[in-house]
Amino acid sequence: MNAFELSLPDTLADAARKAGPNSAFKAAGIDLIDRLKERIDDPETVVDLLRLRDELGGIQATANGAVRLGALTTLQELADATALDAPGFGALREACGEAATPQVRARATLGGNLLQKNRCWYYRSNAFSCAHDGSGDRCLAWHGENKFHALFGTVDCVRVHPSNAAPALVALGAEVEIRGADADSSRRIPIRALYPQSPAARAPEHVLADEEILVAVHLPASAAAGRSAYRESREKLSFDWATTAAAAHLVVEGGKIARASVCLGAVAPNPWPLDDVAERITGQTPSRELFADAARRAFRRAQPLRHNAYKVEVGQAILVDALAAAAGLED
Amino acid sequence: MSFRRPPRDEHTMKVGFVGRGGSPGVSRQVTVDVPAGDLTPWDLDTKFKTVGGRTDRLDAVAKVTGRAKYAEDMRPAGMLYGVLVRATIPDGRLEGLDLDAVRGMPGVRAAIPLKDLGNRVRWVGDPVAAIAADTLDQAYDALARVKAEYTEGDAPIDFRDHENAPALRDGVVDEPWPSQDAAKIEQALADCERTAEGTWICEVQTHSSLEPHGLVAHFQEDDSLEVWASTQAVFGVQSGLARAMGLQPAKVRVHAEFVGGGFGSKFGPDAEGVAAARLSKETGRPVRVLLSRFEEHTCAGNRPSAIMRIRAGVDADGKITAWDYQSWGGPGYAGRGGGTRGVPQWTHAAVTRNSQSDLATATDAGRSMRAPGWPQGNFATEGMLEALASEAGMDSLAFRLLNDPDPLRQMEWRIGAERFGWADRVNPTPGKPREGDAPRILRGAGLAAAFWGQMGRPGNGATCRIHQDGTVEARSGAQDIGTGMKTLMAMLTAEELGIEVAAVKVTMGDSNDPVGPGSGGSTTTPSLAPTVRHAAGLAARQLCERVADALGVAPEKVTYRDGGIDADGKRLSFREACRHVGPNPIEATGQRQRNYEGYAEHICGCQFAEVEVDTHTGVVRVTKMLAVQDCGLVLNEKLAESQVIGAMIQGLSYALHEQRVMDREVGRMLNGDFLHYKVAGPADMPELEAIMQPVANGMNNVGAAGLGEAPAVAAPAAIANAVANALGVPVRHLPITPDKVLAALAKRR
Repeated sequence: MNAFELSLPDTLADAARKAGPNSAFKAAGIDLIDRLKERIDDPETVVDLLRLRDELGGIQATANGAVRLGALTTLQELADATALDAPGFGALREACGEAATPQVRARATLGGNLLQKNRCWYYRSNAFSCAHDGSGDRCLAWHGENKFHALFGTVDCVRVHPSNAAPALVALGAEVEIRGADADSSRRIPIRALYPQSPAARAPEHVLADEEILVAVHLPASAAAGRSAYRESREKLSFDWATTAAAAHLVVEGGKIARASVCLGAVAPNPWPLDDVAERITGQTPSRELFADAARRAFRRAQPLRHNAYKVEVGQAILVDALAAAAGLED
Repeated sequence: MSFRRPPRDEHTMKVGFVGRGGSPGVSRQVTVDVPAGDLTPWDLDTKFKTVGGRTDRLDAVAKVTGRAKYAEDMRPAGMLYGVLVRATIPDGRLEGLDLDAVRGMPGVRAAIPLKDLGNRVRWVGDPVAAIAADTLDQAYDALARVKAEYTEGDAPIDFRDHENAPALRDGVVDEPWPSQDAAKIEQALADCERTAEGTWICEVQTHSSLEPHGLVAHFQEDDSLEVWASTQAVFGVQSGLARAMGLQPAKVRVHAEFVGGGFGSKFGPDAEGVAAARLSKETGRPVRVLLSRFEEHTCAGNRPSAIMRIRAGVDADGKITAWDYQSWGGPGYAGRGGGTRGVPQWTHAAVTRNSQSDLATATDAGRSMRAPGWPQGNFATEGMLEALASEAGMDSLAFRLLNDPDPLRQMEWRIGAERFGWADRVNPTPGKPREGDAPRILRGAGLAAAFWGQMGRPGNGATCRIHQDGTVEARSGAQDIGTGMKTLMAMLTAEELGIEVAAVKVTMGDSNDPVGPGSGGSTTTPSLAPTVRHAAGLAARQLCERVADALGVAPEKVTYRDGGIDADGKRLSFREACRHVGPNPIEATGQRQRNYEGYAEHICGCQFAEVEVDTHTGVVRVTKMLAVQDCGLVLNEKLAESQVIGAMIQGLSYALHEQRVMDREVGRMLNGDFLHYKVAGPADMPELEAIMQPVANGMNNVGAAGLGEAPAVAAPAAIANAVANALGVPVRHLPITPDKVLAALAKRR
């Protein structure tokens, strides 16, 4: 890796001050250290947030049922959190509990998981030109080797968003709390808005400005209701990335779906919400047939590349599984 | 006293194996000439005290606690970090190389060209130059500044794009069979009651050794060279470096006390080792060159890809009578070494024809990898056996029992089938869920044969030292690549001397000790074990001589027996006897004779696998695997099982996950790391069991065969057959990933 200055701020304010156009924030460093070692990134300053547990850690349930998840909460802490016991939060616990390996889950943070970079094998090697990192003017994966690439929502780059937690949080209607250069510039935005509206090749993978820090994720009280589930398919169980993932949150009342929210992962440059699916199944009696039909419709708009058409079939199956689990249907 | 005193002695012994599980054993008397000085060969009637037991690996604690120091751990004072500048194009010529800009960079101590201008570039990774710097980062900084210019050729990246590659349609070879030697095979096929035909394809697998290739080299002022290497061949590295540096081999000292995996890819110094030595000579400082993970995947060899097609047939009884085998290998720029083979015993009664050709590409050259060519060939061969069994309307196991001529494997099939529960696990209605399973889950079982030769050789030495305090040393310059050879040396020495294993200290991996074999082809154990035992026997004889001398007893009245000495009616324990050794230890160097006629020149084995397929996602999970494996005399049952289970795991990974993915335009590997190159991990492991079948092979004074390759031959084929049994349709293309499973299911529908 290239030499850089390691900054170890004592406060959030200090951390934000240290950041700039040539800096990178580091939490556990699961993704960042790899990028530094591969010389994909070469920041002048690395601002280490790991010591700011007071401001960035912790899981707090509020009286009204909403839950605040500090950005430094590890994936394993989320998988095990008693504050997330309600079946409505199930998708998040499952998504975090399935990620990577026990070693990674014990270190990787929620914030890092949401802000990590994509794993496209062209982007991850300096030897290939890449439209996303600006070293090239066309996406080599588009017509190259694209078995693990996008089906939906691509502009001119077929990367997929790799986060497990993001689709679950989208399905749960979470918001993210962001702190700017100074304390009064804090803002809260829906998690969908954390990702670029048009994920073009040159668009950054999230909308945070250089000095902005993701402080926490807020789950609304409404997320605790009903039941949610996360399912993913991957080639290996140990340390692999999902080929497709799906999170579904359903509230069933009187045998009908009263409220639904659905999001796919690993199929598009952003987490891929399926609002039309949610709308279509709302008011219906949950059944595998209903969900299979909804999944078929959802994937009709898929635009498979040369090597990833199988993801259409896998994605439908995983979506039906997530919906069925969220509806409490037996396997 | 087990020495044969006459110059040559006819010795009659019993070889074979004891029957088990209701199957008959096979044994016979063989009479062999035991040359002067060799020990009486162990045979079927020998009773062992230590050998065959479950002694723990001697260096297990050192390895898991990090105390074991590998080449990768060596940091001699003043050491520099070396890196190789490698070609960035797959095919062409080197036309320009500017290292001057690099030489003045911070920390850079040397930059040397490795390829002459005008010379061919053969793949992305071909070494062009080498740089040494104070830190690894400085070396990489310099590497980024090297200017190399090339003219580019247009050699293919994928062997399927080679001009001589067979035409493929939907994954099936679509061209006529060769006309050469066609008459006999065509007639045999025409005479068959039933025939089948198919194409099988394997992708490139990389060795994925955890410790990278390379070494730390220290060129000394007296023109000698000392290196710490990660290698399967201490003496291969020694001779290779001696040649490259123009030194006598004795001037090159090689250390390889621990080795972090090689699997057939680490037999010489390679470009990185020679570069380290040259950089050290140039700078006068120790230089370390150990490959990066990307280089490991792209510059250290691989198991070549293969296309195989077979047409074969059976007679009215279901016996195989015709077998036509054609294969194309993808051995990379080497252009050879891509041959494939299946277990040959299946075709003993058949008219056969074999044809093989290699298709060169502008990619890293293939290297031997754990049974080179066999896992590919056996995947195709066993796949064809399934097709023939199905044509003949026979159960897979019954078809094997009908066609397998080997009584040892006949017994192994039966032992394995019973222990595995074959009858209950095989899916009687392939493609349909088993009772009690969810409708989307298909389960099935498969099996496959294992096979390898017994290729131990003479020409090696091993030392046994006995000290006056009763400690015993066993030494060999050969390496223990993780198989447990050190432990076996201690056990063999303890057995011969009748002492405890703990009393034996073993040293391996130092070229100052007697020459040992390179660890390839499952030859280390059969080459070294008889040598080690012989050394211990010679040392015992010397101990008798010293005791006789010290006690003033006639030498012929002193004999070694049961871990002690009988000296003219007086009994001395081993430690008591050792007190007469004196300050100069006994030192004996053992030898190994040429192989005697033994039970058989090959080993057998078989494996069973059960899989579970999610038909909605195409994901295959192996749920259970069982191996029955022989390897001559089983020296250590626990280590042998470990070796077999390791091969099953590697085979599972090859069958389902591993594949080198190349960008065909740029010619560079896309998944050259452990994130995208998928090696099976702990959560992917099935229930694994290995049953060892001892055989007295009588081929030397020990009679142990090697065990590295045979179990690797069977595993992928057994899994692929299990997938076919589950799905009701085979997937004839490794790795069996979800996309291929879904495509096979769609085709079936």
